[in-house]
This record gives sequence, structure tokens and C-alpha cells, in this order.
Amino acid sequence: MQLVCDNLSFEYSDNGTIVLDRLSFTMQGPGFHAVFGPSGVGKTSLARIISAGITGYTGQLHLKEIKTILYSYNMERLPGWSNIGNILRQVTPSGCESLLEELITVFDLDSLMHSRFARLSLGQQNRVNLIRYLVQDFDLLILDESLANVDEKLRHTILLHIKERFSDKMFLSISHNLMEIATFCKKIVVLGSRKEEGREYLLQGMDVQRDREVAQDIAQDMLPDRKRLDEVMLEIMNAC
Amino acid sequence: MLVRRFVRRIAQFLIVYGIGLAGLLGLKYVLALSDYVVPDISLILETAKEVIADYIPAVFSTLSVTILGQVISIILAFSVGIAGRKSSWLGSFIRVTAYNIQAYPIVALAPIIFILLGDGFISRLLIASMICYFPLLLSVLGVMAAPVRDIEHFYRATGRMTWQLEVKIRAFENLSKLTTVISGSATLAMAGTIVAEFVAANAGIGYSIRTALYQSDLAKIFVALFLIGIIISVYQGLLETVGTWIIQKTSTEASSHE
Repeated sequence: MQLVCDNLSFEYSDNGTIVLDRLSFTMQGPGFHAVFGPSGVGKTSLARIISAGITGYTGQLHLKEIKTILYSYNMERLPGWSNIGNILRQVTPSGCESLLEELITVFDLDSLMHSRFARLSLGQQNRVNLIRYLVQDFDLLILDESLANVDEKLRHTILLHIKERFSDKMFLSISHNLMEIATFCKKIVVLGSRKEEGREYLLQGMDVQRDREVAQDIAQDMLPDRKRLDEVMLEIMNAC
Repeated sequence: MLVRRFVRRIAQFLIVYGIGLAGLLGLKYVLALSDYVVPDISLILETAKEVIADYIPAVFSTLSVTILGQVISIILAFSVGIAGRKSSWLGSFIRVTAYNIQAYPIVALAPIIFILLGDGFISRLLIASMICYFPLLLSVLGVMAAPVRDIEHFYRATGRMTWQLEVKIRAFENLSKLTTVISGSATLAMAGTIVAEFVAANAGIGYSIRTALYQSDLAKIFVALFLIGIIISVYQGLLETVGTWIIQKTSTEASSHE
């Protein structure tokens, strides 16, 4: 499973703004990877290029053992004509019903299944939206701030569960949460204004797994390898 | 709530009607116009007593054509609006054609319709539908051609999008706008029917107005206008109530057995 961006450039045709300039990186293997950077550096454009939502870019995009790519983002909505439970069940492929029920519980949404989407808080809406993507058949799922507005402890629980439950899938997380990216992701592409020509910032994250029983520690700011985490975060910040 | 809505609508009409009548009566007394030009209140009331028995069935005849014409125009507008929602060549062609045709005054076509189809029910219905149809079509096209990206993205990405689902999403997201437009189009349908009756039909309140015009009987016209105002207020109030009910029903919390 491999995602290779080779000299990827993209500019908006209407105003000529260059969003991505000769971006090259390789991400390999299943698990959580990330794209990090300040607002406006092209994270979402990159995600949409990868998910075929944007054409007209230059450079090459190579995908190996990645057939189905889904892109979820944090402002998505579910239709309002029925309750969440019905809508989720309607879009769940047959055979994935138990996965749906499991995710509903892990995402702490059991009590909201009879509510309409518009009645939920932003964090609840994002959790519901993410669930319907996770029950689909995919090889790469791009999460563009997909867990925004979810409280930190639950977000960590969800991330750890996804990493364990979908260990054979590739995820590309776009988030402004530095600590989360540094803690949970394997490879981190840093997009920023200080990027030197010919050099991409592809950093190594801590890739924390559930088996290290860190969820509680993270919540209490007691990560065993706190020093290493600080170093990763510093590296990311320096690369921006 | 329903009664209050009707009372409010009728009260609004009575105020407008009263102001209009008062203005004319004011002119009458200021300029010392005769009853032949502007009848006084007693003459209007007397005329009302005489013609009300004929005018009430006439106004209901007009209303029935209005309702039928509006239903036809809604069906047509949604059919063409749905067909023209795509950004394809055909969709673009339908939209441009609709925009161009609606710029042509339908009233100008009315004589042709009467020459071809005669002065019966079909001609009234056709003109009412056409006058109501184009403004409706433009609204429906506007709604149907505008993607609701935040909702549609998932269904497109997962290959679940069908044209029925697309229409359902866009209609649901713009339910308030659509119900308002449909409710508002009742006035257009009524105007269309009256114009048709006025031009050449042989029934309806428009036909009664034309007859009164030939008799130069302004009192009869005032009575006809009063009945038209009352009936359209009630009909629009009814449509608004149905629209509000639909919106409330679809936005309320789902029941446990949904």
C-alpha cells in the first residue's frame, strides 16, 4: 500500500494562486499518516487531488494497492428527512451492520440514534459523519478535520479504536491539532511557507497504538515518552 | 393558528381594499365626480346585493381553474426543472430556453390560444398554467441546479447517488423556499385565469368583470374585486398553512418507531 506524490503542483485557474508547488512525498503501508500545516497552505487541495475531487494539477500521483479512496470533511451533513439511525443503516453495506453498531458505541452515539442530524452538536455531527465512511469499503480514507469539535478524551479513544479496528487500511489525517498528529500518526507531511526548494518535510510521528494503554495517559498528560513527543512536535513546528 | 392566519390575511386584504376604495371615493368627492364615474358606498352595497348570487359561483369557477392550472404548472415546472438541473448540454439548453421563453408575455399569446382552442375551459386553464408556470420553473430550476455539496459529497464518493436522491436532497434542503414559491404562485394562477376570462372566456369572475366593463358599471367591478381578494386570501392562507405543516413535520424530532 503506497501513496506517492511526485512534483505535484496546483494553482487556482481563476486567480492564479499557487496552492501546491512541486510537492513530493511517499507514504507507505496502512495506518495513520498526516498532512499538517497552517491554514491556506493547500492541505485540503492535496486531499481533494488524491481523492480525485480536483483535476488540472501537474505532476504525478501514484497509488499502489489503493483502489478506493474516500474523503471526509468536517462540514458534511446528513439529510434531515429521517433520524440518524435510519440514515446510517441505509448507507451501511450488507454484512457491516455489526461494525456499525460497534462504532456507534465506541463513538458514544447510542443515545442519539433517534435524533435528527441538525439537532446534534458539531462534535456529534462529525462523529456520525465519520462512522458512515468507516463502514464503507475503502483502502484510503482522508480525514479532513473529521473529528473537529470532539472532546479530546473521546477523540483519542476513537482514534485508537480506528487504528486497531482498521489496521489494514490507510488513513490520511488533516488536522490542526499538533499533539494529536505527533502522537497518533506514522508519517507526517508538513506543508508550510518555510519549505526549502527540493526538500519536503516528511517527519516521523510516534504512531501510538492502543496496546500501549496510553489513552488514559494521554488524557492525563502522562505519555510515557513525553520527551520524544515534545521533540516530534518541535520538529513539526520548525518545519512549518 | 390556522384561523389566525386566515383572519390576518383577510384583514390585510380588507385594509388594502378599504384604502383603495377610500382613495377613489375621496377623488369622487374632491372632484365632484358622478355616480356613473365612481359609485358611492350605498350604490356599491345595493349592486352587491343584486349580483352576489351570480358572482359567488363565478369566483368559485375561477378558483377551480386557478387550482387546476396551478397544479399543472407545478407538475410541469418540477418535471422541466428536474430535467434541466444538470450541467450537461441538455440541462443548459433547457435552462436557457426556459429563461428566454418566460421573457415573452404570455398575455400576448392569449388571443392565439383563444383563436385555436375557442373560449372554453381549456383556454382558461392553459393561460392560467402558463402565467403561473414560468416563475415557478425559474425557482425550481434555481433550486434543482444548485448542488448541496455538504450532503451530496458522501453519496457521490460512495457511488450511491441517484437522480431521485439528488432531487430529494435539493428539494428537502430548499423546502421553505419551494413552499413559499408555490404559495406565491397562487396569485399568478388566479391572475392568469382572470386575464384569460377577461380576454375571451365565457365564464368566471373575469368574464363578469368584462361584462361589467362593457356596461361601465364600476360598482359591479368593485364587488368582483372584493370577492377575488377574499377568495385569493383564503386560498393563499391555505397553501401557506400546508407549507408550514410540511416544514414542521419534516423538521421535528423523529419518533422512535420511524
